Amino acid sequence: MTEVIEALSLVPKAEAKQSMKDFKSDQEVRWCPGCGDYAVLAAVQGFMPELGLAKENIVFVSGIGCSSRFPYYMNTYGMHSIHGRAPAIATGLASSRRDLSVWVVTGDGDALSIGGNHLIHALRRNVNLKILLFNNRIYGLTKGQYSPTSEVGKITKSTPMGSLDAPFNPVSLAIGAEASFVARTVDSDRKHLTSVLRAAAEHQGTALIEIYQNCNIFNDGAFEVLKDKQQAEEAVIRLEHGQLIRFGADGSKGVVRDQATGDLKVIAVTDENASQILIHDAHTTSPTTAFALSRLADPDTLHHTPIGVFRSVDRPVYDTQMSDQLETAIEQKGKGDLATLLAGNDTWTTGR
Amino acid sequence: MAYVIAEPCIDLKDKACVEECPVDCIYEGRRALYIHPDECVDCGACEPVCPVEAVFYEDDVPPHWQPYRQANVEFFDVLGSPGGACAVGSVSADPPLVAAHAGRADDPNR
Ligand code: SF4
Ligand code: SF4
Ligand code: SF4
Repeated sequence: MTEVIEALSLVPKAEAKQSMKDFKSDQEVRWCPGCGDYAVLAAVQGFMPELGLAKENIVFVSGIGCSSRFPYYMNTYGMHSIHGRAPAIATGLASSRRDLSVWVVTGDGDALSIGGNHLIHALRRNVNLKILLFNNRIYGLTKGQYSPTSEVGKITKSTPMGSLDAPFNPVSLAIGAEASFVARTVDSDRKHLTSVLRAAAEHQGTALIEIYQNCNIFNDGAFEVLKDKQQAEEAVIRLEHGQLIRFGADGSKGVVRDQATGDLKVIAVTDENASQILIHDAHTTSPTTAFALSRLADPDTLHHTPIGVFRSVDRPVYDTQMSDQLETAIEQKGKGDLATLLAGNDTWTTGR
Repeated sequence: MAYVIAEPCIDLKDKACVEECPVDCIYEGRRALYIHPDECVDCGACEPVCPVEAVFYEDDVPPHWQPYRQANVEFFDVLGSPGGACAVGSVSADPPLVAAHAGRADDPNR
């Protein structure tokens, strides 16, 4: 890649041209045969050379879960960290080391259950990190319990009569948490997955990518309707900035705004209503339409599932602002001394 | 790196492997199936299901079947990288190694 990506302008470039091989580590990959994680790993390893960054300045931080084994397999720096805490660790790293390209790998359990708090605050702060959320709608590592994205009524070993929890929609959640970049893609669609990775890498600030990932052992076929050639035509809505939101055979269906409620709905396209079909605008400041798009999919059947970049807007980036603030403080007050501050005289005594 | 389909597949084409592949990268030729070397993600799902043990991890191909590594690459010289076998369907061609193969020893139609 010849042009400099603004979001990565502080990260040193690789000295020589890289290939996918450069990003494969010597570790034996240990996921179940057929797991969707392999496809995501291959796509990420295949995409990295495009960025042309020095490998020593790339970091993958993960939490706990099957997908969190990811850093072992990347020939970059990495950290298999604490359950749910990858966004917190990555926040510290990205804001104190702006010469790093920081990626978070997490799953639906790690990011949305124990790590839900960290995730929403990373998104709200807009730290320059890229979060890959592998959503397989199940706890795989612990052998198949329902997760925060499992559909209601999910029968697992821990919910023999069906789960009672309403699931999270990660894209809706991220948009609600002030995320400046939110996208969704599918593990097996290498081309689409790569295009979304590219868009996220170019974005300044936190990018959340939800990746629908098949756990072929404990939740096989969860996204089959989006992968099967025939069914996908009716089920998948491919979002492209500046393009009409049409899908189905020959674009026979479209997304329009319901004039009465302001909500979005799917219609069969006719000559009369064709002019009402929405054009996707990922860069619009208001999150309203992106949110409405995230609500289109039926949580049970996954019909009308949009994939692609929902939202990508410019917003002040935390690390830039923090470093500016530090510089200003030094300019105005000089370089501080932490030891003196700690041993200072701003103390008080409490009564017994 | 990729998985490779070797000799036992020739004229059998059981296709159990095709069902398993999560990225649809096992393509059908005239006499055998071939794994796309760039599209394969090394997930290993195809290997245990093959009834005749024709599938091997690239580094584990037995010495006498080494040429099949190249055959799996050659098959795609013309096809390129279609990004999915389903859309391509069956191709009526094989690389020279497979095309010239004498056939299965136990094949009654031989
Ligand atoms: S349990 Fe599921 S998610 Fe985990 S490695 Fe196995 S197939 Fe993949
Ligand atoms: S399962 Fe084995 S014999 Fe059948 S098509 Fe695949 S490689 Fe060939
Ligand atoms: S190893 Fe996995 S990706 Fe490669 S051909 Fe076999 S099933 Fe497909």
